[in-house]
This record gives sequence, C-alpha cells and structure tokens, in this order.
Amino acid sequence: MAALKLENIASGYGGLDIIKNISFSLEYGQNLSILGPSGCGKTTLLKTMVGIINQSRGNIFIDDKNINNIKRFEIAKRISMLSQLSNTYFSFSIFDTVMLGRYIHMKGVFSKPSKIDIDIVENCLKAVHLLDIKDKEINTLSGGQLQRVFLARTFAQEPSIILLDEPTNHLDIGNQISLLDYMHEWASIGNRCIVGVLHDINLSLRLSDKVLLLKDGDILFYGDSLSMDKELFNILYDMNVVKFMNASLREWNTK
Amino acid sequence: MQKRVSYKIKIFIIIIIIIVILFLSIILGSISINPINIINIILHKIFNIPLKEDITKNTISIIWLLRIPRVCLAFLIGAALSTSGCILQSTLKNPLASSYTLGVSSGAALGASIAMIINFQNQLLGMFTIPIFGLVFAMLTISIVIIFSSQVDKQISGNTIILSGVVFSIFINSLQALLMSFSQDNIKNIIFWQMGSFSFKGFEYILILLPIMIICILFLYSKHMELDILTFGEESALSIGIDQKKMKWVLIFVSAVLTGVSVSFVGIIGFIDLIAPHITRKIFGSSHKLVIVASSLIGGIFMVFADMISRIIIAPEEIPVGIVTSLLGAPFFGYIYFRGNKK
Repeated sequence: MAALKLENIASGYGGLDIIKNISFSLEYGQNLSILGPSGCGKTTLLKTMVGIINQSRGNIFIDDKNINNIKRFEIAKRISMLSQLSNTYFSFSIFDTVMLGRYIHMKGVFSKPSKIDIDIVENCLKAVHLLDIKDKEINTLSGGQLQRVFLARTFAQEPSIILLDEPTNHLDIGNQISLLDYMHEWASIGNRCIVGVLHDINLSLRLSDKVLLLKDGDILFYGDSLSMDKELFNILYDMNVVKFMNASLREWNTK
Repeated sequence: MQKRVSYKIKIFIIIIIIIVILFLSIILGSISINPINIINIILHKIFNIPLKEDITKNTISIIWLLRIPRVCLAFLIGAALSTSGCILQSTLKNPLASSYTLGVSSGAALGASIAMIINFQNQLLGMFTIPIFGLVFAMLTISIVIIFSSQVDKQISGNTIILSGVVFSIFINSLQALLMSFSQDNIKNIIFWQMGSFSFKGFEYILILLPIMIICILFLYSKHMELDILTFGEESALSIGIDQKKMKWVLIFVSAVLTGVSVSFVGIIGFIDLIAPHITRKIFGSSHKLVIVASSLIGGIFMVFADMISRIIIAPEEIPVGIVTSLLGAPFFGYIYFRGNKK
C-alpha cells in the first residue's frame, strides 16, 4: 500500500496552474526531498498534498484513500505540514502550543486533555529538548526554539506523513542540522514518511532516500537519491551547481 | 503547579473587584443610598426579609427598578461585547478586529434608524421593536460581509473579511446619513440612540439577554481549542485538522449575535470589545480556555465602571456611556498595552 500517491496533479492559484502534471508514489519508510529553483511550485505541491489548496486536476491518495473523500480531521490524522517560520500574533506557553497538535485526538465537548494527551505532549517536548522550559511563552523564544515547538506540535498530532516546507529558513546551520536530526529520528520508526522542501542540497540528501526535481511545475527527475545523476542539478538550476559544490569541497579539503 | 495557583489568584482578585464595583455602582448615583439599606432591600426582594422602617418606597424603586437592572444590564453588555471582540481578534488573527470593523454596529444602527424613521409600531414586538430591527439588520450585514468575502477569496482569509467589513460599514454609514438627512425630525433620537445608554431598561431586557449570552459563551468556550489554533493562521489550522472556513463562519456569526443583540438593546458603545480582550490577554495569556471567560468578566466590570462614571460625574445629568468608555479606555489601553515597550 502506497503511503502517498499523486496521479496527474495540477494545481495553483486563481485559476492558474503552477504545478502541471505531477505523478509519483511513496512507500512507508521512504523520505522524499523536493528540490527546485524558487517559484517552480514546491510549496504549491506540498500545500496541494495536505489539502490546503485544492488540485484543479488529478487525484491524491493517502493510504489508498482519495483525499477528496476524507474529512479534514481524518486527513490531519494521516498527514501534516510544518511550514516556514511565521509571526505569531498571540502568545501561548510552549506546552499549550504543542497540546494543540492533539486536537484531532481529543474527545468531549470542551476538549479536555486526557492523561495520554499530556504524556504524548511531554514526550514530544522531550524529543526536541524543550521539556525543561515547557511553561515559557512562545513569543520569548528564538527562531530555532520556536521551530522546534512547531515540530513538537506536528509530532504530537501523530500523523504518518510529515511535510516540511523549508522549515530551516531563518535558522543557523547548527539549528538546521539538529532539526533534521529530530526529523530523522522520528522517521526511523516504522510506517512513517517525510516529504521535505529544503533549499540546501546537502541537507536534502541527508534527509531523504528519494528525490523529486521540480522545474517549471513539471517533474525533471523522480527516483532514488543515490542513483540520481548529480549533473541534473545543473539543468535544474540552469547553472553549474555541481562544479560550485565540488570546488567548495576541494577548497575546504585543502585548508 | 505554580502557574495554576497564580491564575486562580488572579480570577479571585477579579471577582473581588467585580463585587466591589457592582456594589459601589448600586450605591452611587444622583442620590446616594446607605449600603445597609441596599442589602436590606435586596434581601427583602429575594428572601422576603422585613424592611427597615426608614426605607421609603421611592428608595426601593430606585434600587430595585432602576439601579440593579441597570448595573446588571451594563455588566452583561460589557461581557457580551468583550467576548465578541476577543473571538473576532483570534478568528481573524488581527488584534484590531471587532464587530464594529465588520459592520455589525453600522447594520444595527441602520436598522434602528429605519424603525425610528418609519415609526414602526407592532403590538407583538412592543418596546423591542427598535432592538429587533437593529438585530436583524446587524445579522444581515455580517452575513453579506461573509458571503461577499467567500466569493472574492476562497479561503476567506482574515484580511479579506476585515476589508470587506470596513467597505460595507462605510457604505451602510452613508445610507444612514442619507436617511437622516431626509428625516431631520428624528436626527436627535437617532444620534442619542447611537451614543448608547443603559437608562430606563428593566429586568425584561436582562431576561432576554442572559440566556442568549450563556448559550453563546458556552458554545464559544467549547471551541476554545479551535480558537487557539486559528490564531496561528489558516494553513496551520487546516494542517492540524480544522475545517477553518466553516469554523470561521460559525465563530464570526456567534460573535455577531453577541454584538448585534447588545448594540440593538443599548446603542453603540465602542472600545470595550477592543480593550477588554487585550487587557485580559496581558493578565492571563492567550489560551482561550481562560481568555473567553476572563475577558467577559473584565469587559463586564469595565462597562459597569464606565456607566457609574457616566451617572455620577455631572449628576443629576448623565453623559452617554460610550463617551466614557472611549475617554477612559483609550489612555488606559495605551498604558496597559505599551507599558514596558519603551527601551
């Protein structure tokens, strides 16, 4: 059973398709990186997969079920998206923010968290090393800490697929690596998948075993990251990216 | 654990303040009445305890028929407006959102003005003719604003709703100005109605308002988690599992009912719905589990206080309570909100 399957997906904004004809499928246990230049439709593709924007054509299946026939909270039990860091207008404690991820699992009219909900939230906070400061307000946190809070919230939701939309933007390299390490650890448990959009090619390859190269809304390559011809990066970005990467590595090695 | 204790203490302090201000507000007025007599009158009315000999019928009327209903009504209206403002700020992810910016009060004012101008009389509606006209127009306006927003923006984002609300408010205000210019006899009544007042409104208003408020606030409290999630924006809400479009519709509509009923009953009283929720968030944080109830208490007591000032400052004359809420509210809000920002 495919965890996620897209069939001839076209999608965009205001009647204009940004992604044109996307088909691929992903098994549980596989992580996928989507790479491409700015404006090629990476975020549009992610938003379409999670149902934030509706596709104009094609079908999306999660666990072989058509996303159009599943209720919003059922979709959220299977797939969730961690977006780029954005402003928070109102402040909550770290614990309360992560507890929001338990929304779809809560029962009762007044959404009172159960002992299980509290345990799960605490475990998620432990996983991203924030349990000690769980009562701190999120508007006092640094960008890296805040992104870890949102990651813990996504974990607490317990989806089987997590979509990452450039979650490492605005983070320093140390925070970028630790965020991806948290993700790796999460994905190492069975029946889970990560689909990530990251600008950094090295970080992308570190995260994933499948790669999707997106150029002008179409698939340039989809397959195993190990079997991918690195020269495709040059076509993808219309410049000799590989030469630049190799040169940087050589320079580094000679120091 | 420490956090739990501290919010309980805060609620306790607020309840003490509420009791003090409610009581003060019954004592003070153009005629000051002895507090012991007030307690005696209340106990007499509720438990049939004998009255002291020096209490006149006049005093009983002032307390039981004028001041107590007035204070209770002011509290309920303040609570309703404040809760409504709090919900809209969170739902639309905008700290400046209120039912006023969405056209609810303009709609209510237009409805009330039409009722006054055509001098609509109906046996069944009786003294509630103007409020019902106001409420119907308020709800019509907010419905049009939401329908319009959903037509121009499929995700009905907060900004689209606010902009549509502002545009419709301006349009409706102009319609009302046009009506007033054709019916100069009613201008004074309409303007006075718009300024808002709690005078001469008895228990029957409270009996209508109270159940509506309890139902609305309980419903909103049941949605406290959805409200928390909506403050993080539309995409997060969808990702966490909320059908955000439907939820926004419902929340805005319930808030509009609260404001619509309030404005229709007592006229337009501004500013409470903006400041009370912000002050509440400063004290209790943003979690709606606390904010919904706390902002209704703070809004209620702020309104009672403003009404008391409006009655006693130039007694026996009164100034419109809407003027007091703005005059007191603006500097107080500035102090609370920007305190500590100076670096």
